[in-house]
Order: sequence, then C-alpha cells, then structure tokens
Amino acid sequence: MTDPADHLLYAADVRKTYRDGDVHAVNGVTLGVRDGESVAITGPSGCGKSTLLNLLGALDRPDAGEVYFRGEPLSGRRDLDRFRARQVGFVFQSFFLLPTLTARENVQVPMFEGPRLSARERARKADGLLELVGMGGRSGHRPSQLSVGERQRVALARALANDPVLLLADEPTGNLDSANAAKVLDLLTQLRKERNLALLVVTHSPDVAERADRVVRMRDGRVVDDGTRPA
Amino acid sequence: MHFATFILKNLTRRRVRTALTVVGLGVAVGSMIALLGVSHNVERSVESAFDIRRVDLVVMQKGKPLMTDSHITEYLVEQVRKMPEVERVSEGVVSSANAVRSDGKTGDPFLVQGWKPDNFGFEDMTVTAGRRLRPGDRHKVMLGRILAGNLGMVVGDTVAFVGVGDPYEVVGVFDSPVVFEAGGAVVPFAEWQALAYGSEKLVTGFSVRVRKASPDSAAEVAAAKAKIEALRDPERSRLELTALSPDKYVDSVSQLQLIRAVSWLVTAIALAVGVISLLNTMTMSVLERTQEIGILRAVGWPRGRVVRMIMGETLVLAAAAAAAGAVLALAAMRTLTLMPAVNGFIEPDLAPGVVARGFALTVLVGLLGGAYPAYRAARLLPTEAIRHD
Ligand SMILES: Nc1ncnc2c1ncn2[C@@H]1O[C@H](COP(=O)(O)OP(=O)(O)OP(=O)(O)O)[C@@H](O)[C@H]1O
Ligand SMILES: [Mg+2]
Repeated sequence: MTDPADHLLYAADVRKTYRDGDVHAVNGVTLGVRDGESVAITGPSGCGKSTLLNLLGALDRPDAGEVYFRGEPLSGRRDLDRFRARQVGFVFQSFFLLPTLTARENVQVPMFEGPRLSARERARKADGLLELVGMGGRSGHRPSQLSVGERQRVALARALANDPVLLLADEPTGNLDSANAAKVLDLLTQLRKERNLALLVVTHSPDVAERADRVVRMRDGRVVDDGTRPA
Repeated sequence: MHFATFILKNLTRRRVRTALTVVGLGVAVGSMIALLGVSHNVERSVESAFDIRRVDLVVMQKGKPLMTDSHITEYLVEQVRKMPEVERVSEGVVSSANAVRSDGKTGDPFLVQGWKPDNFGFEDMTVTAGRRLRPGDRHKVMLGRILAGNLGMVVGDTVAFVGVGDPYEVVGVFDSPVVFEAGGAVVPFAEWQALAYGSEKLVTGFSVRVRKASPDSAAEVAAAKAKIEALRDPERSRLELTALSPDKYVDSVSQLQLIRAVSWLVTAIALAVGVISLLNTMTMSVLERTQEIGILRAVGWPRGRVVRMIMGETLVLAAAAAAAGAVLALAAMRTLTLMPAVNGFIEPDLAPGVVARGFALTVLVGLLGGAYPAYRAARLLPTEAIRHD
C-alpha cells in the first residue's frame, strides 16, 4: 500500500522550505497516485498545495524526501526536463499560453521535446488535440482573441501534447466563471477516462473535488487527510 | 511549426525594437565592412600593379616606410640591372602633385610617376586617346582615365602642375588595371627626376623581375633579394636597400598600414557597439519574457533549447544586420568613389572576401551578444517564473 512501486507517482516524506528555512511550505508529505487515479488536493491558502504539486511534477526538487515515478526516484534522474516533457501535462490557473503564438502553435510547444515528429505532423497532431477540446474551429487564433474558457481548453490541449500519463493542474478553474469551469471540468473528466490519465488537481472548488476519486486535505504543509480512510 | 518559425515570431512581435536593433547594428557593421573594403581595395590595387607586371621584388630605401621618402642612387639601380639573376628592372621617380583643372580650380592630389620609355607599366596600359610617351618627349604627360576625367582634360590640353614652372602637354590618355595609375599621371623620367632631385641622380625605387631558370623560382627570388640587399654604393655607404615581394611591400608601406590600423580600429569599435547593442536588446527581451521562458521550461524544454532559442534570435538579428551592413557599405563605397579625391585610389567594389569577413565578424558579435542573455534565460527557474499565478 505504501510502496512507491505500487504507484505511478509517490512522494515519500518530502519537504520544502523557503526563506532560508523560515517557511516550511511542505513539511513532510507522503502521498501516492496510481495509474488512472484522480486526486484532488485542497486546503487553506498558503498551506503548500502548489509547492507540493511543483515537487510532484519535478518543477522543483525537494529539500528532503523523495519523489518516485513508477518506483524510480526522481532525484536520481538528470533529465527532469525530459520527464516533464514526456510524462507530465501541466495546467495552470492563468493558462500561461504564449501570446505571440496561435492556439495551434501553442499546443505544439511541448512537442519539440516529445517523440520525433515533422513540423507537419506536429501541426496535425495539434489540430487533433484542439478538436478534442472543442477548439477545432479556433486553431488559428491567438490567446488574446479567445475567451478565458477557450484559453484554458487550449492549455489543456497543450498539456496533452506529448501524450502524458499524468496531468497536474493547479486551480484549473480558478479564473473561470461557473459555466466555463463546468465545461473545462467535463472535458478534464472525459479526457482522463478516455486516456486513462492520472490526475492531481489542486482546487478550492467543491465541484472539482467532488469528481475526484480521492480528496487530500492539507494544512500548514502537511497532509491532514489523504482520503484513503473511509469517512 | 518549426523551431525557426518560433524564433522568428519572437523577433517579429517587437517589430520596432527588432528593426532598430538591426539598423543600429547594420550601420556599425556597414562602416566596418566599408573600411575593411577600402583598406582591402587600396592594398589590392597596389599589389595588382606588381602582379600584372610579374614583379618579383620591389626595391626601396631601407628604413623609409613612406614611399615618397625613399631615395636610391642610380648607381645601385645599374648594379642590380647588371646582375645575372635579374631579368628586368624598372625604376621610377614617384611624387604626389596637384594640378589646375580645366575650370581654373586646383584639384585633389594624385600620383605622378616619372618613367623611362621601357618601363614595365607601359606594357599593360591601354592608350584610349592620343599616344604613349616616346623617347625624347619633353614636358609631355599621359593622364590616367580617372585623372583626365577629374581634371576635365583631353589630348592636346596643357596641364599646369602646382609648383612646377612650365606647363605639360597632354599627349595621351590611358586606362590601367591599376586604379591609382588610372587616377594618376605618367611623365618622362629625366625631367621629373630633375624636378624632384635637382642634379642628383636619384630614383624613388624600382621593381625587379627575376630571371627564372630552375623550377624553384622561390629560391631564385630569395637569392636575388639577398644579393640586392647586400649592395652598397661606395659613395653613399650608409644607403641600404630593402627588396620585398609585392605583398610584403604592401604590408610595409606606412600609408597602407595606417589605413589598415584605422579600419581595424573602426572594426573593433563597431564590434563593441554591436555586442553592446545586442546585449541590451536581448537581455531586455529575456527579462520581459521571464514568465514565458519559465513555461517553456515547465513543459519540458531543457536549458539547452532555451539557450538555442535566445542564441537563434540573436544570430538572426546579427545576420539581418550583416546583410543590411553589406548593402550600406556598398552604397557608401559607390558614393565615396564618386568623389575626385578618392576615385583615383580605390575601386568602388566590395570584394566577396571582405563581405564574408564582415559576416563572420558579425556572427561573432551575435555569439558574444547573445551569450549572456542566453545564460540569464537558461538560469530562470520554472517555479520562479510561474510563481505569481
Ligand atoms: N518561492 C517562494 N519563496 C518564498 N516563499 C514561498 C515561495 N513559494 C511559496 N512560498 C510560501 O510557501 C507557502 C506555501 O505556498 P504555496 O504557494 O504552496 O501555497 P498554496 O497552498 O498553493 O496557496 P494558494 O491556495 O494561495 O495558492 C506560503 O507561505 C508561501 O508564501
Ligand atoms: Mg497555490
């Protein structure tokens, strides 16, 4: 049950401090995610959710503890970039699309580090992904020409660019009104099922949490409830 | 999308900044290419004069890097002429002069050469009007094509050299593959020698064609050089000769050294300006894109690709500037050589080699100017960049 090898992604007692040890943003978290499982992380602002997500997605290295991917410790890998490019898809609260690029081009950005494809194949794949998120008709638009809900759908397509096994989303509906949030959520749920993706989503929204297989509650850098015990 | 497309898109988003950088760098690169081109052309035109005439050695007074300061006794010229290793010798009295133009104003200085009728130079000049100088001519002059144009004179006109008593009659106009000869004049040897040196039997210098009997002509030239440099005039034992191959001679001429030094100085300044301008533009661009670069890193771009992106952008700017600079340089040289003061000394064309050197230096500028911004970009952490979510 607590074996890293049983999990797709497994954090073992990870810690992260800021300001020379003043702020214990993540203070000894042990948490696993299985293939295809969806986990919501909730908790008050500043409790370390984003920090934990960054550690799990190898955007940052923990000060102590270890993150395992398919049982292999990430600290042993020198190519964390490649791990992020090929295994993880990121979705952020403020989308973070590149303003100069069209939707189709934005989706292609991670593909430069994915499996080898020609420029034409990349474009075709991007079109397919945009179709999948219901943005097929807007592929030539730049982010400024899209609504916020549409932007998040493009960002979702970008997260899927290299067919990852794991989606990490930090408040993906945080900037959306309820109608758009619902659309993005439906999409997320549907894609996750279709592609058997594991999903880790940080959220304040009960709607998001409700759809997860499991809800993890954090406070002050620790997990207070990992959702595995029956309520 | 190609990676290159992405790089170009990054540059075209700030059109004004990109354009200003290219123009600024282009002007710097252009002045660099133009000066390197001028320096190259001046050297080439001197060198070509000797090449065409199959001159192996140029003999001048030792220790006189300024061509017109060299004075050699005719005794020494005759000693060289008598050497069995030597096929032919052409001596000349060379000085710079001014003349009054047909409109009555004094023109720009040009080179006047006093040649004997058997000088090598007569063989490759094309007489376009009138005739050549002949033995026994007195106060006759042949004008180079460019000089004739500058002075506004034709065959039959008379030239008043500034500071020379009697006027000279134009008996011929010639074209020469050597631009400074086409921009100058040729007069009879004896009277120009008298004007320059009075009764002293001196010449400015002479060219030597070495007799080549064996296949190892380099050794023969070297032997002749040693023998010539060992010669002494018993009446002027302090006078020593230096015999140089044409390319070494061109390197030694102090006017040419000055031109070269100036052009390299300007080049150094242009390079520094270029590097600073690219540093400024690209550092600004990187700082502005902190968040975007963080995203690129987050979605899996390694540092190397971020570096390639920034270096790519910088090199595209540099290449555009080099192209603009080459065009500017060519335009500048064309304009410059419309002026009578310089058209007799340099050709208006840019040698491909010079343009290639300009491009290579600009690429170097790009590499230097892009390195620091690229390093800054590579150091950005994805977490820092996307923290303010
Ligand atoms: N780069 C940083 N430098 C210093 N302190 C930081 C840094 N990143 C996060 N922190 C601090 O670490 C703690 C946890 O931050 P984190 O962003 O993980 O919280 P969060 O749970 O995601 O909050 P929110 O719900 O507001 O997004 C906070 O006290 C925050 O101020
Ligand atoms: Mg957060």
